[in-house]
Amino acid sequence: MEIDYRLERPLRLHARIQVQGLTALLGESGSGKTSLLRALAGLIPALGKPFAGLRPERRRVGYLPQGYALVPHMTALENVALSLQGPKATATARYWLERVELGHLTGRRPHELSGGERQRVALARALALEPRLLLLDEPTSALDAATRETTIELIDRIVTEVGLPTLLVTHDRYVAARSRSLAVLEHGAVRQQGPPDEVFARPATLGIARLVGFANVFTGKVVGHEEDGVWIETQGLRVFAPTGAPPPQGRTVHWGIRPEEVMIVRPDRPLGSPLARNRLAVVVRRLVKKGLAYAVRVEGALVLEVLLPRHVQDRLRLREGDRIEVALKPAYVHLFSSEGFSS
Amino acid sequence: MTEAFLLSFKLAALTSLTLLVLGVPLAYALVFKRVPARPLVEAVFLMPLTLPPTVLGYYLLILLAPEGFLGRLGFDWAFRFEGIWLASVIFSLPFALTAYREAFQAIEPEVLDVARTLGLGIVRRWRRVILPWIWPGLLSGTLLAFAHTLGEFGVVLMVGGNLPGETRVASIYIFDLVQALEFEQAARAALVFVALSFVMVLTVRTLEVRWRSITGSSVR
Repeated sequence: MEIDYRLERPLRLHARIQVQGLTALLGESGSGKTSLLRALAGLIPALGKPFAGLRPERRRVGYLPQGYALVPHMTALENVALSLQGPKATATARYWLERVELGHLTGRRPHELSGGERQRVALARALALEPRLLLLDEPTSALDAATRETTIELIDRIVTEVGLPTLLVTHDRYVAARSRSLAVLEHGAVRQQGPPDEVFARPATLGIARLVGFANVFTGKVVGHEEDGVWIETQGLRVFAPTGAPPPQGRTVHWGIRPEEVMIVRPDRPLGSPLARNRLAVVVRRLVKKGLAYAVRVEGALVLEVLLPRHVQDRLRLREGDRIEVALKPAYVHLFSSEGFSS
Repeated sequence: MTEAFLLSFKLAALTSLTLLVLGVPLAYALVFKRVPARPLVEAVFLMPLTLPPTVLGYYLLILLAPEGFLGRLGFDWAFRFEGIWLASVIFSLPFALTAYREAFQAIEPEVLDVARTLGLGIVRRWRRVILPWIWPGLLSGTLLAFAHTLGEFGVVLMVGGNLPGETRVASIYIFDLVQALEFEQAARAALVFVALSFVMVLTVRTLEVRWRSITGSSVR
């Protein structure tokens, strides 16, 4: 389903998104994600396709707001049956509650359910409508890490089975990475959409880079060309970046590499030829635990953030002040397209 | 005594029903709609809370007298049951309105939004979501208005005087008995009030507590 919506209030926004299966819309807080969903549900005025001009009652769009919005005096079953009429209403509602694995909690009221269970009741209620489009507003923001994981899995499984176009908005990179397609909202427009791996590895703009955790971004000048890429000079360091559309000699460009893709050169292992190119000597300046991994800041010709898996640190036993060598494998070096900076 | 109490009940019942009909749409508008100069509107409706009953009664008497503004429009209700009914409605409005407004404020607007996306038109929204959500609030507001009207004295006396069978309600009846030094009869009548008051307040509280256990809401 292609969505093309323009909002004027509460903020100006133009969103063109291809919704296929579980599609995530990533954006900072306040970027208009919730407003876009409310507009798609028909709750705030907007221009665009589909559903233009239809009242919310006529759109058949399933909408799950952040607080789930369950009716407090109704049981889980009654909540799910809210959109249903006729003799089969209860059976249909029961079917959807079972589908979200809550068949045993039909008689509970919302305040007797956990956050994750409420979320699933709200999901079942939206699905019972047999919607043409499902809208989820930060569906995991109030859940603990384990429940977040199972909830996303459940949502993905059901919408895939039902074949339901689903737009999920989030500011959570982890949730965004679990989608089938990822769109990024920045400065009132969708600037990039693609498979999450692609967006995470090749963000179109600096803003998107920041949103998807691209911590190492630098400015440099194109100083040489090769068949498959360009040489960029940044603070005296020459880095090779592969590209299909090489910028001209002398052009100022932005390039970057994700912290988890910076490699530590082990003195005991010889390097392959690609790694012989982008190497630099650095000093470990800071080393802090980040979950089970280590966030390391190293300083040489460049200051780089490096994310070190635990098993690597267990072998290397790095400490602050150590002198090491890091390699920026060309395949992981991302050259930002110049269009990304015109806006 | 029976006549005075029956009159009081009739007045309280009519007043609280009138307030239900007027107060619910008003409270809904105050909570969910854009109301121009909202503080001003609210101040006007809540003013009877602080206004001395005799002052309110005085203005109503002037308006409802045969030569008054409303009297000349056909509403010459001074010293008549209709007069004390109007006075009671105005005087108890803040009590009912406050309770109704609180009931509506407990509704999360987002639930109503989602109900719309689920295809519920205005009638089904009211029948299935709003009314079952607010009825304890409506009932407790109506009971409070009823109890408050039962106990009214100053406003009723000013507008209605003391006409047996027409405007002499139970509270004025007790006043009369005390004036005539008939303390035994006054004590009996007063005791009826104490019992009524207790039952009504207990009912209101029970309703609130029961509702909290159903919805998990934060009524305390």
